[in-house]
Amino acid sequence: MYSKEEIFKAVSTVIDPEVGFNLVELGLIYNGECDKKGNVKVTMTLSTKACPLHQLIIKWVEEAVLRELPKVIHVEVIVVWEPAWNITMASETVKDKLDGKTK
Amino acid sequence: MVSITRDFAPPFKLIAPFFIIGVIFYLISSFLLFFFDVEQLSSTASLHVISWVHIFLLGFVMMTIFGAMAQLIPVVLEHGHFSVDFYYIIWPLLTLGIMCMSYGFIYNHLILSFGGMIVLIAMSIFSIETFLTIKDVKEYSLVVVSMLISNIFLITGITIGFIMALTFAGFISTNVIMLLKAHVYMLIGGYVLITIMGFSYILIPMFGLAHGFSSKPLKLAIWLQSIGVVLVFVSSLIESHFLIKIGYFCTLISLLSYFYLIYTINKTRAKKENDMYIVSLLISFVFFAIGLVFGVQHVVTSNEMYAVLSGWLIFVGFFGFMILGHLYKIVPFLVWYERFSPLVGKQKVPMLGDMVPKKSANFQIYLTAIGIVLFSVAIFFQNSTLQIVGASSLSIGAIILFFNLIFMIRFK
Repeated sequence: MYSKEEIFKAVSTVIDPEVGFNLVELGLIYNGECDKKGNVKVTMTLSTKACPLHQLIIKWVEEAVLRELPKVIHVEVIVVWEPAWNITMASETVKDKLDGKTK
Repeated sequence: MVSITRDFAPPFKLIAPFFIIGVIFYLISSFLLFFFDVEQLSSTASLHVISWVHIFLLGFVMMTIFGAMAQLIPVVLEHGHFSVDFYYIIWPLLTLGIMCMSYGFIYNHLILSFGGMIVLIAMSIFSIETFLTIKDVKEYSLVVVSMLISNIFLITGITIGFIMALTFAGFISTNVIMLLKAHVYMLIGGYVLITIMGFSYILIPMFGLAHGFSSKPLKLAIWLQSIGVVLVFVSSLIESHFLIKIGYFCTLISLLSYFYLIYTINKTRAKKENDMYIVSLLISFVFFAIGLVFGVQHVVTSNEMYAVLSGWLIFVGFFGFMILGHLYKIVPFLVWYERFSPLVGKQKVPMLGDMVPKKSANFQIYLTAIGIVLFSVAIFFQNSTLQIVGASSLSIGAIILFFNLIFMIRFK
């Protein structure tokens, strides 16, 4: 029903309030699938296991998918720790900004 | 839909009093610096100095650490509190106990013992809640172990302190001088330092997006420091100079290992910007290193002034800046969590960095650092003019901190 790109676009509306980047450009979203009935499964990770926003981020991802993709009837967010996130997974824009190369 | 449990995100009204009262005690301790006779500052035996140390360490350091723990324990343990409501009674008890103790040291030792008992109760509640929370944790990581160890030292150190308070009041007879080292080392080296070590491993990489560093230096640091604390405790009971020196040596190696950990975290952090948080940490480590040099000089020369300087730099410089840096991170997060997180996706919400009054916070940090340096020089040369200038700088910094805190709490 929805492609991986469309799911990623929906999730990209979720911004990490600490660093100011969205979850997709941070490289935290590993996969997004949608079946014919409108059930979406998002596989993602977090930058640290001790993330204080853990539960909230999952909730925001669910809400973002339901909000941006109206035909979706159910969202399941799976948080995985393998592969563990590192900065190489982030987009070049994020890396450059964090590195201080661009403002 | 995933529900947000209250245990993972304690309400801000529960945590806010710890930070507000902590900063008020910081303000009071800064103002009190004006009233010291400069000669008193070169002696650790002065009751005025001891009273001030308790206002600063219990009132500011412990109070803010406990407040932060209400939020950080679930984050670090990845497990909710046993009962976070216990925190509602910790801060009133701790506040009352500190007031009684600081007054009692100078004016009435009976009130001192009463205050000591209240502080003991407050800290016992804190530790028991922490132990009960840890009990349900499935995986005992190194940080969880560090929390267990530090809380055991906390309870032991406070109990020793209470025994000392009872001795001061004349209820029992003990060798206070002998117990003093165990009391100080258990609480400062055992609780505060090991807590800082364990939480550094989680928080500094989290804020700096650091990955790929080894946990081995932390393991070495925590175990060596724990052995060091036990050795100093035992040596103070059996009066062994040999054991105490081995204990100090363990601490020294432990600290080197800890600093190596910080170095590797810094090397691997993706967020290269040296923001206020990083600057605060950097200042705290510099003060700690200088404080440590004075500490070693005290051990070698037995000159009391070096002990005061070392304590001053480690308590106000290291602990102080460590807490300041984290206050500017934790308070905006808590306020944001409470006030703005429900609005995510519905309307534009501020970033955490927007909630910090950056210019004012930077000014406060540098003013405080200058104040600490000037006051250190005042202690060294016993110079009352520098004492006033240093105390002024610290007091203005403390006032700015108070208003910055209020700004962050009231941010809309």
